[in-house]
Formats: sequence, C-alpha cells, structure tokens
Amino acid sequence: MLCEEKVVENKLIGHPALHLYKLVLNGQIAQTAEPGQFVHVKVGQTHDPLLRRPISIAGIDRKRGEITLYYRVAGRGTDLLTRLKENETLSILGPLGTGFTIPQKGELLLLAGGIGIFPLFSLIQAVEQTKVKIKLLWGGENRRFFESAGLEELRRIALDYEVSTLDGSLGTEGLITALLQDYLARNSRTLKFACDFQMQDQHILRAAACGPKGMLKAVTSMCLQESIPIEVSLEERMACGVGACLGCVCTVRGESGNVQRKRVCKDGPVFNGGEVIWDEEN
Amino acid sequence: MKKIDLTPQLTGLKLKNPVIVSSGTYGFGEEYVSYYDSSLLGGLTVKGITPLPRLGNPVPRLAETPSGLLNSVGLENPGLEEFLRSYLPKLEKLNTAVIVNISGFSLDDYAQMVSSLSGNSCISALEVNISCPNIKHGGMAFGTNPHSAEEVIAVARKHTGLPLIAKLSPNVTDISEMAKAVASGGADIISLINTLLGMSIDIRTQKPVLANTMGGLSGPAVRPVALRMVYQVYQAVKLPIIGMGGISNWQDAVEFMLAGAAAVSVGTANFVNPMTPLEIISGLEEYCEQRGYSSVREIVGLAHR
Repeated sequence: MLCEEKVVENKLIGHPALHLYKLVLNGQIAQTAEPGQFVHVKVGQTHDPLLRRPISIAGIDRKRGEITLYYRVAGRGTDLLTRLKENETLSILGPLGTGFTIPQKGELLLLAGGIGIFPLFSLIQAVEQTKVKIKLLWGGENRRFFESAGLEELRRIALDYEVSTLDGSLGTEGLITALLQDYLARNSRTLKFACDFQMQDQHILRAAACGPKGMLKAVTSMCLQESIPIEVSLEERMACGVGACLGCVCTVRGESGNVQRKRVCKDGPVFNGGEVIWDEEN
Repeated sequence: MKKIDLTPQLTGLKLKNPVIVSSGTYGFGEEYVSYYDSSLLGGLTVKGITPLPRLGNPVPRLAETPSGLLNSVGLENPGLEEFLRSYLPKLEKLNTAVIVNISGFSLDDYAQMVSSLSGNSCISALEVNISCPNIKHGGMAFGTNPHSAEEVIAVARKHTGLPLIAKLSPNVTDISEMAKAVASGGADIISLINTLLGMSIDIRTQKPVLANTMGGLSGPAVRPVALRMVYQVYQAVKLPIIGMGGISNWQDAVEFMLAGAAAVSVGTANFVNPMTPLEIISGLEEYCEQRGYSSVREIVGLAHR
C-alpha cells in the first residue's frame, strides 16, 4: 500500500549523542501491519537522497491507527527525517515483508543486538497477548545506550530480561553470546525436555533475533546446536522494498540442499535462521 | 476533453500508450499488482533472462549516489526454462504487452533464447540486452563494439519474427555508430540507455561499496546523458526509439519524446514512487491536449526542428 501517514510524534529519545528517534504515524498501515514487517519511507521531496528508507515497525496500535518506528540518524536520509514535524504527512510504502511467527504456546527467547531491539518490540507487544512466556537477552554498548533505547519500558511491562554491555556498565560484561551461553547452560535440563517435545513438533521453545549479522550468525548456531528453532530478522541495502529489483538478497540453502537467493524485503526480512548461509563465497 | 491518441509508432510493437517499465525494475510483474492494474501500462519489460539460472552477484549490490543508484545485481534470474514454465503464464494474465529482455554469453545463447521465446503468443517483443555492465563476459562486451553488436542482432533476427529491440549501452565513445550497427543487424527498435558504469567507495572501510566493485548507475543523475544519446540516435538512424534513463515524471518523458523517443521506459523511479508510470501517462495526455496535439506521435523529435 502506498499512503500518506500523519506524523503524531517525531522526537529524540534518550541521550542526544546516540541520535535515536521515535516516530509515531497515524494512518492505514496500522490496520494490517504485523510484527517484523517494515515500512519504506520517503525522507525528502527531491531526487536527493533518491531512495526510500526501510524502517522496521516497532509498535502497532490498530485501535488508534498508529504505528511506532524508531530510527538512528546514520546519514542524510535519516537526518532529513528528524526535521519532520507533528501533523505533517509522510509518504509510506507498506507494511512490507514477511514478519515473525507469533507463537501461541511455550516460551519465546528473544535475542537483540543494539538497536536490533526495535523490531522485537512489536513482537513482544503481540506475544504479550498470548500465554507465551518471554525471555529477552539484549546486548548493547553501555548503560547509556540501554537507558536511551527503551529499557524503562521493558521494566514497566515487567519483562524477564538480561542485558550485557561491552564495558560492563550494566548487566553482564561482554557480548550477547555470553548471556546466551549462560542461559543455555542454566537451562540445559529444561532444554533437553523441550527438545524431546520438539521432536514431536511441539515447539515449546523458540527463538527470534535481530541485530548485526555477526551476532545473528553466532546466536543462530548456538540455538540450533540446542535444537531451538530460531527466526532472524536481516538487514540489507534496499531499493524497491517490494521484491522487484533483487538488490537486497540473502543466500539460503533450499529444502533440497540447493543454494538460492531470497529477497530480504519480500521473502524476509525475517528468515528461518537454519536456512541462511552466512558467509557467501564472493 | 478531446481524446488523445496515445499509441506510439514502434515497428511491429503495438502498445496502448508509450509508457513502458524497464527491465530489472519490475521483476516479473507480480510485485506491483497490489499498487495498480498493470494493464494500464503501455508495456512491461521483464527482468533479464539468461539461458541458465543465475545466482547473480554477492551483496552489497546497491549503493545510493547523488540523485542516482548504482546496482550490481548481476543478472540474477531463474533461467529460460523456468521463466517459460513458471513466470510467463502469470505475465500473460496481466493483460499488458510483455517485452522479454534477454542476455547471453555467446552468439549461440542468443540464438537459442530467441528461438525458444518466439513461439509464445503472449510475448510482444524481445529486448536484446547487449549492454549489461554487471557480468564479466557477454553482456556489455557485445554492446561496446559495433561489429559484435551487429552480429548479435543479426543472429537474433534470423531466429525470430517478433519485434526486436536492441538495448544499447551508454558506455561507448560513439552511440550513433552503435545505433547504425544494430540497425544494419536488423533491429526493429532501439532502446537506450542501459546503466552507466560507475562505482562508489566507502571512506570508512576504504573499500568499494559494491561487492562487485563496479556497477550500473541509474536514476535522475544519468538523465541528461540519456537524453543526449536519444537525440543523437534519432539523427543517426530511422528506427523508432524507446528512451530511458532517469525518467521520473511526465515532464522528463516529454523531454525524451521531443528528443526523438517514440516511447519511454520508467526504471529506477518505480522504486521511489510506484505510481510514476501512470502519472506519466496522464501527464503526457494533458500536455498533448493543452498544446493541441491529437496524438503523442506528433511530439516525437520536435526538438530537432
């Protein structure tokens, strides 16, 4: 869908040096958006910058007709976006892509790297409505980052979470992989039980992850080793956003073992972690 | 409002209006069906097909540049056989003129593809891509030398009765010479321009942005170059021209038609505003009406007076 959405709110959140923004839009998108999908945003009115910017959907409020996006200013495109004011309109293509599976029972392990938390917010929001138990492991740079990127909100909804920081200023010092390793070790007995169930296709424990590619590769391999099915949300440079240009592909192993391309914008951005081939021979 | 005749004059290729969508920017026609009825388009050019399936180049395949886009997709496609089996039947249902873009790595490749595609009544024309900058052999190598360009077109001509479009590369010294070569090879129509070879370097990593190092530049950044080449080709040969290269609105389309394009093709602009082709159709109609033309054909080449 191509539509004009009205800006409800567009403001800097957290520490100014992190350049994180929250953008709330009102319009049609909220009615059909699903967790893990994204919108393609026209940031300016001229040919430069030329392309739309893909931003994942972090919150969906069908009743109010609002979606929430978070973005970090990374270049001219996102910088232009910060100038957008309340009540102005924004050209949006969306909701686009294939999002996360919403589990209906069991436990969901969420793995977030840095601002990879944002698409997981919409998943948390949806899963909260079910009986599924959520556990979040979130890796970031330092305390300042977490305080800027929505930790307060997670505390408010009393989510079960653990964080790691590179400098040890909050939670465990180190990478998210350390948190995950620890979690898997602590729960090995339960996991064994869960795996036995999964043999019968019960899937009582699933994982969903979003973050940098290196992190996704590492956590996918750790989860699969414990037979925990994992979905990963990938990021790639995009042009059309609808699957027409083949600019944003990833490489996967098909069911018959053959190597093939899939489009991050259309077939993803959420993929089964087990099918992704992380290191492609150039 | 007087009804303007929108049909373009393109040898053997009948279109309801002069606005086409370009190869590689429109997939196989499925992706934009939820945005508008594709039967409103003059025609639809499918993603370039090769004899065998291709995985294409590694990512990053895209780099945004000032008012432009570099791509190095590298002709990812399902291959001729799969195209005929899975994609062509769906294209037929779109009820618009289907132009199939083909690429090969040898003369035999082109001969084989042209023969297999020619038996299909739902294909309106073949666009011979002798200008892809993103593959190591074939493609642009055929399209930057007038002799081999003529040879490829002549081979294709021998194997088909379908209207044959030669898609020219702008990465040449003399575009007129290339146009004359494909004309004597037997092309019915000339389309231009394909992308301009370019590159982008990330000053942080100090490496090329594209995994393939170089890629093809498209978008408004190339428009003046494309327009100049359409103008030159119009003077060099009698064949009808499909003009493309950065066309983003009806004013751009008018400019290309005044330079000599009988029809125009919209590429990169689809990514920014999927409705661009339809807005161009109505803009052209209005332009003709306001200026008192009864047919879009009347404005073709007017800038040469």
